[in-house]
Amino acid sequence: MLSLFDVTVNFDRSHLIFPILVSVVLAILGSVILVTRRTDIGAALAATPRWPAGTDKARLFGTVALTIIYFLAMERIGKAIPNRGFGFLFASMPFVLAISLLYMHGLPRRRVIIAVLNAVIAPLVVWFILSNLFNISLP
Amino acid sequence: MDILSDLTPLFFFLTIAGTFVGIIFGAIPGMTATMAVAVCLPLTYSLGLINGMALLLGLYVGGISGGLVPAILLNIPGTPSSITTTFDGYPMAQRGEGERALKLGIAASLFGGMFSLLILYLFAPALADFAIKFSYVEKFLIIFLALTVMAALSGNMLIGIFSGVLGMLISLIGAYDVSDGGNGEYRLMFPFMEYYLDSGFSLLPVLIGLFGLSAILIEAEQGVNEESGLSGMEISRSTPFRWSDFGGQFVNLFRSASIGTFVGLLPGVGGSAASVLSYSQAKTFSKTPDQFGKGNPSGVIASETANNGLTGGALIPLLSLGIPGDSTTAILIGAFTLQGIQVGPLFIGQNMETWNMMIIAMLVANIAMFVIMFYAIRNICKVVTVPKHLLFPVILMMCVVGSYTINYGIMFDVWTLLIFGLVGYLFHKIGLEVAPFIIGFILGPSAEVYFVKSLESYGNLTIFFTKSWIALVLWVLIAASIWLSVFVARKARV
Repeated sequence: MLSLFDVTVNFDRSHLIFPILVSVVLAILGSVILVTRRTDIGAALAATPRWPAGTDKARLFGTVALTIIYFLAMERIGKAIPNRGFGFLFASMPFVLAISLLYMHGLPRRRVIIAVLNAVIAPLVVWFILSNLFNISLP
Repeated sequence: MDILSDLTPLFFFLTIAGTFVGIIFGAIPGMTATMAVAVCLPLTYSLGLINGMALLLGLYVGGISGGLVPAILLNIPGTPSSITTTFDGYPMAQRGEGERALKLGIAASLFGGMFSLLILYLFAPALADFAIKFSYVEKFLIIFLALTVMAALSGNMLIGIFSGVLGMLISLIGAYDVSDGGNGEYRLMFPFMEYYLDSGFSLLPVLIGLFGLSAILIEAEQGVNEESGLSGMEISRSTPFRWSDFGGQFVNLFRSASIGTFVGLLPGVGGSAASVLSYSQAKTFSKTPDQFGKGNPSGVIASETANNGLTGGALIPLLSLGIPGDSTTAILIGAFTLQGIQVGPLFIGQNMETWNMMIIAMLVANIAMFVIMFYAIRNICKVVTVPKHLLFPVILMMCVVGSYTINYGIMFDVWTLLIFGLVGYLFHKIGLEVAPFIIGFILGPSAEVYFVKSLESYGNLTIFFTKSWIALVLWVLIAASIWLSVFVARKARV
């Protein structure tokens, strides 16, 4: 006789059992959070300005934008000159320099020179050690 | 004899170098032990498991320890686990006892690290031997227990468990793995994503994104304080350190190390909880609680003993059950996966050599940490003043290397890094917790296999209660942890 707790697992649909269970638990937890914290959430959504004072949007969005450009450039160069890690090497140099300049407060000449040296030497060292000494594949 | 042949100069060099780099990472606010391990992971690809572990464990011990330097000298915790070190360390430094506070903290860190290492060595094999008897049912319940404990001890119970379950759901994206007995069908994604997400998101890009890239995005949002805020560090030494300062501190040391190790055992609970709990206990049991917060050496000792006590403790569930004790040990899972080794109850028995070498690496790392920090503390203060505008781009570059090389060259993993870097930043903004998310992400696929296979094998839901006495004990522990979380939430409201 089948009891209330008996379960038959259909193998063809077994991939959905756990995701559905987890989604239901997540939905319940999310609803409880929304209900118990509705005042806080409402206040946060209605807050103006949306970004708190002191947020450095230029550096934040600059980092995201430069990172996306970095990844795209790395992929392109890597496809044009494959299997040598040049995508990593030649995309990293301008990226490291650009991020350094973005994070620098003011552009004094000495610091810029050090940043340029850092941008050339650091990727070169990493590329040489990983790609040439350890034979690790780089883009 | 195998062990002797593994004790090469390279092994010692990597452990000591890892410890040194870890200390630097720990000492720079915004950079953590987890970040150090994540960023340096690609270097272990060619080192093999033992030497790779030597490097990573050195980074772990060093990263946890380095945070005390700015905590004491500048009132800025280098890592979250050094928060309570600032309470008494900084007032001590202000009244001219900087060197004394630092050396007290360093020696206390050594004690905490050694104590937890001893517990790890004694306890992990015994727990693993016991866990070998577990069937899918008990294994699923262990994961369930891990989630409830994590929720009970996170800052906010609901947010903690929500973050953990969200991590679990994200981990299920992809095919239900045939090698785990699944049917190979895709779920939780659109058909065009099948090519990229056949095996779901890779663990390491996810980890590196959440702990490396997102930390830099958070710093960028705050304008990147260029000099790390550390250029003003000076070590005052009007009252020199004496070993006799530890007189009467035995109970404090022992209690704090025990708390640190125990908190380490609990999944997803980090060093900050260990040091806060230990500090509050030291204050409660002190004869002069009013002196805490005003430069009481007992406060520095309690905090630093506990956060280093975490290191050995967090490795116990990792190496005996396959459940990481904190976010840094979660990354160590990635290092094991990289070498084709699965951590779980069978790990220690089948990899005795690696296990012994890990213990030796932890021992060497703790001693190296003590020697480096105790005798070269002034030099460390100079090294950590490297400007962030030079450091961060290099770290970003290393994040890319780590993500790309994990699966031997898949560009999608690099994009995963960016996606989860943004996810980590978003979590920070809306108040979700990263550590439970990661533990849920790591344990999700195993939980699915254990749950579904239990149902397939026994065909009845009651099996989760009736399988064995171990299952019943686990349910009692689950109920206790849920009760604890409700109790803590109510107490906080009163």
